[in-house]
Amino acid sequence: MPELPGLMKGLGVTLRTMLKPAVTTQYPRVKEAPPTRARGVIALKEENCTVCMLCARQCPDWCIYIEGHKTKAPPRRPGGKPRTVQLLDRFDIDYSLCMYCGICVEVCPFDALFWSPEYEYSEPRIADLLHDKERLGEWMDGVPEPEPLEAGAQAGKR
Amino acid sequence: MSAVPQNQQRAYVTGQAADARVNVELETDGMTLNIGPQHPATHGTLRIITRLDGEQVISAEPVMGYMHRGYEKLVEVRTYPQVTTLINRIDWLGSFANEVPFILAAEQLMEIEAPPRAQWIRTVLFEMSRIANITLFLGDMGVQLGAITAVFYAFRDREHVLNQIEAATGGRFHPNYDRIGGLKEDLPKGWVAETKSAMDKVRRFCDEMETLLLGNEIFETRARGIGVIPPEIALSYGLSGANLRASGVDWDLRRDSPNPLAWSEVDWKVWTHPDGDSFARYWVRLQETREAAHIVDQLLDGLPSGPIMAKVPRIIKVPAGEAWVSTENPLGEMGYYVVSKGDLGPFRVKIRTPSFNNISIVPWVMKGVYVPDVITILASLYFILGDIDR
Repeated sequence: MPELPGLMKGLGVTLRTMLKPAVTTQYPRVKEAPPTRARGVIALKEENCTVCMLCARQCPDWCIYIEGHKTKAPPRRPGGKPRTVQLLDRFDIDYSLCMYCGICVEVCPFDALFWSPEYEYSEPRIADLLHDKERLGEWMDGVPEPEPLEAGAQAGKR
Repeated sequence: MSAVPQNQQRAYVTGQAADARVNVELETDGMTLNIGPQHPATHGTLRIITRLDGEQVISAEPVMGYMHRGYEKLVEVRTYPQVTTLINRIDWLGSFANEVPFILAAEQLMEIEAPPRAQWIRTVLFEMSRIANITLFLGDMGVQLGAITAVFYAFRDREHVLNQIEAATGGRFHPNYDRIGGLKEDLPKGWVAETKSAMDKVRRFCDEMETLLLGNEIFETRARGIGVIPPEIALSYGLSGANLRASGVDWDLRRDSPNPLAWSEVDWKVWTHPDGDSFARYWVRLQETREAAHIVDQLLDGLPSGPIMAKVPRIIKVPAGEAWVSTENPLGEMGYYVVSKGDLGPFRVKIRTPSFNNISIVPWVMKGVYVPDVITILASLYFILGDIDR
């Protein structure tokens, strides 16, 4: 090999890249904003839940634990019959098992579960990844509004 | 029976053998060298038992199964919507492409077809996952040969594509975006324009890799003529994807098999290389990445409007029957043989993954190569460990 023009060309690329600023984000100090749709954490809107257990049954690794009880609620109109409603006692999601597939959010018929793009909830102990319903309810603050769709999309129906 | 007495025959054979060895007193038994199973640079575990004679490999045998997760059995106890979230994890670098053949097989059994917009978006994301997957190979091949810069560029530019996949599907690596009969939801606003600029970055990355590695003399010396696989051997071992096309076989399921996806709607080209060596495999993959960016651009230009979901019952029960659908995934032919008995979940699923066949050629191709070339060949065959063992 008399000379190395190919090597020199490659070094030119390296030199050009060297002069550009770094693209990495220094995570704990600088935070990256995840997209609106990012599946970060599942938030629970407790008052919408009717303990129908659809999410717990559809979960592919069965990491949702639900308990509830029936109770009487005051009638809607005065003079009406008291209603039977289901009250939620326990709603736990074990994030150490969760695969972040989003099936529970999709099957929920009463819009009680939402995706939030929050992602900072790592724990030193694996048992702490079991979020109870109070903790899941706190995530509701981070749930974004549904974003507008690309041109040509049919609005309304999923 | 031969006329030559047996002792004479034996003496002749021993004499021949002694003549063949020039340095009988220096000869050793050979050495067994384990490559793997664990290495910090691999994302997975694969062990290759090589038998060495000095610097030369006498035999090499891949030992697979360290990462066997039993997907074929796992999907039997899951419903059809739950299966896609599992099979995302087979080839984890191009996960979206794993979902498509399974969904197509289920759709074929249910005799429904997704609307055109869904098929086009599927094809776009399929090609984007191909780019995300092969981009990493383009850098990784460099790092295996000692050029560490390339892999950082690959990680940098793969991120643009992954960000777009995440913006549309919600998952960087595990999209779980495909549904029987269509897609989960439509694209967010501004996605098309952003994806086009990401494709520009991919093209720039390909140019960079071309100057950085393809024209590099050291790279050429290390890769040219190393691990040559002739086309008939490649076919008999069941290679597929870029490994087969680098051997000069013009075979691409995107073009050759009838499928409802939108590849037939756009103008593109199947790249082949006649050499069949490691360099050819790199070259074909580089051209394929460019071609994929070209396909994505064209598809985004002509994206039809309309619904993205066909009429599908709420509870999905797939009628009894059998279906085989395979597509050209980033690594090669990936197919699902789905047997349904009319239940909520499949009765049996056979998953054909490309890496398993691509790695099976190792005993053939590694015979007689030198130890540093083992790494070149392994890198150029390009397998994902999860795709081998599934």
